[in-house]
Amino acid sequence: MSNTIDLEEMTKIEGHATLRMRVSDGTVEHLEIRALEGSRYFEGLLRGRLYSEAAEIASRICGICSVTHTLCAYQAIENALGVSVSAQTRSLRRLLHFGEFIRSHAAHLYFLALPDYLGVPSTLSIALEQRGVVEKAIQLMKLGNDMVRVLGGRDIHPVAMAVGGHRRIPTQTELDDIRSRLEVLRPAAVATAELFNSLPYPELKDAAERFSLYDETEYALISGSTRSSGHEFEQKDYAQFVSEYHTPENTANFVVREGHTYMVGALARIANSRKQLSSEALALLKASPVEGRLDNPFLNNPAQAVELVQSFDDCLAILEKLRPEPEPVPQPRVQAGHGIAAVEAPRGILWHEYELDDEGKITHANIITPTAQNLRSMEESLQALLPHIVALGREKVAAEAEKLIRAYDPCLSCAVHFLNVEWL
Amino acid sequence: MSNKLKVGFFGITGCAGCLESVIFNENEIVGLFNLVDVQAFPFIKGANNDQALDVAFMEGLVASPRDLETLKHVRENAAVLVALGACAGTGCIPAMRHFTPIENYQHLLREKEDDIKDVEPTPIDAHVKVDFSIPGCPPNGKEILEVVKTVVAGKTPRNYPSPVCIECRRNGKFCLLEYGKPCLGPITYGGCGAICPASNFECWGCRGQMDDANLPAFIELLESKGFDWDFIQKRLRTFVGLKIPALEPIREELLKAEKVK
Repeated sequence: MSNTIDLEEMTKIEGHATLRMRVSDGTVEHLEIRALEGSRYFEGLLRGRLYSEAAEIASRICGICSVTHTLCAYQAIENALGVSVSAQTRSLRRLLHFGEFIRSHAAHLYFLALPDYLGVPSTLSIALEQRGVVEKAIQLMKLGNDMVRVLGGRDIHPVAMAVGGHRRIPTQTELDDIRSRLEVLRPAAVATAELFNSLPYPELKDAAERFSLYDETEYALISGSTRSSGHEFEQKDYAQFVSEYHTPENTANFVVREGHTYMVGALARIANSRKQLSSEALALLKASPVEGRLDNPFLNNPAQAVELVQSFDDCLAILEKLRPEPEPVPQPRVQAGHGIAAVEAPRGILWHEYELDDEGKITHANIITPTAQNLRSMEESLQALLPHIVALGREKVAAEAEKLIRAYDPCLSCAVHFLNVEWL
Repeated sequence: MSNKLKVGFFGITGCAGCLESVIFNENEIVGLFNLVDVQAFPFIKGANNDQALDVAFMEGLVASPRDLETLKHVRENAAVLVALGACAGTGCIPAMRHFTPIENYQHLLREKEDDIKDVEPTPIDAHVKVDFSIPGCPPNGKEILEVVKTVVAGKTPRNYPSPVCIECRRNGKFCLLEYGKPCLGPITYGGCGAICPASNFECWGCRGQMDDANLPAFIELLESKGFDWDFIQKRLRTFVGLKIPALEPIREELLKAEKVK
């Protein structure tokens, strides 16, 4: 007997989606994640706008990735105009971007993922019994937010970045304050990694290549080449390697050209940039279920927790050296050009690509979000998971499938191409 | 039985930034959950109830039949409906589609299932009665808390009545317009603390245009600063295009009076 199950709209994810599947005699015959977002056509709305307006508009694709979208847009425009930035600007951008990592990872780990492992509907509903956990989550989130406020000028849709520079240089006092708070809260980041190292993760194996930025000299988040176990290429060459295709059901899916599915996000970054981890982040990784099990997508959560510690250590290293100096934003020479940039969002690589005419107006924009890239990998790991749990009944299936999808830290607002995914 | 106010936080098509603004209240978020009975907040909790609410906050704009259905359902089940942020209040940037030639986005159109097919991107008050709007892209988190506290106290919330410039002056900031930036501060409702100009980033008008804004004079001013019409009309419309007067007739009057070229 065949029976189609439409699960309720998923909760505790960024955006709106549901899962639809057809089960026959205990076998999953059809499975589909449905994104329930209306289309907003940002890439179309960007056409005809000035190069300097791209970031402010593209930021609205996603609130929770707004630092990443803004930064990625600026870097792609800089590449189109042949603009480079000072070491100070780069440091300020990294700090700002780490602010987003800290708050996004803290929010995702504690508010979205943890309830799955504690068996409660929400982290706030455990507020009384485990006040310490909630307190830690909130303080980590607050630190990340305050970093974005100080360095970005606003907590969501930051405004202080610019083409070629930074509009408002923070004061030494502001940076010292961030530094001392990072030092105070670092144990909370370590405790987060220990907590997520101790949770029981379901067994699962998938074959997706782990793709991330890579840089010999640092834990790559805002620049670098693109790397997986099978491929390495420069950002500007992405179209030669990463292929988007639409199924008859209008799905946007991404594969490496050779047909391999890939996964982006914390697990991929840990897989490729292990050598660049700080000594404590590496020690936490070694004590983690992620060690030796990079093929289990559920382990994206403990990988995020290791990255939380890495973020603290990198920020402290930057702040050790940074002595802010006044630095006006240079006026770029406006010319026609084509620019591509990739930046790691907390949930994986984000690509922005712009073509400009000789007045500096955008004639073409292409934006590929991490969640859109992860769809096929999510599809394949759900396919691998469901046969093991389909007999457990609707509620259990829903809970486990959602837990797996949530582990990818999906961002459905972000997935501008994400329309409708069909499996099997 | 709790006699606390029953509150829900919902979202339709949008960026989730306004809902984040609620949780980015950090230390106060636990207080919020104690002050009111948060019956629904699917972004951060499972087990949500959307029936018989006292106040519902709605983020996002209507961009699909499904958005409209969700919006109507929430409206019917809440005594008070609050538009949370610019998408809900004005249609925000997605509503720029009304002012964008179709050839700019035709290549992005795909066939979709009925419930998520495109409809005209519109703010929620185009479809249902809205009791109050919190402006901003996104609104300041504290502002959202203030609205909740005001409603709990049995009072009617009010919006900040003055332009961004008032707060900008109070911040001791120099005027970006005088530095040749196309700052919309003079014609835009404040209440944001003028945080964008504080970072030397000109106001883009996300909190909505003041009812008594002198648009012709402002357009004339921007033109005198060297901005062309194409730039000006797009910038003025970016966050509030559907909520401001038609710009072309204003432009024509200005041309006739030879106030602009």
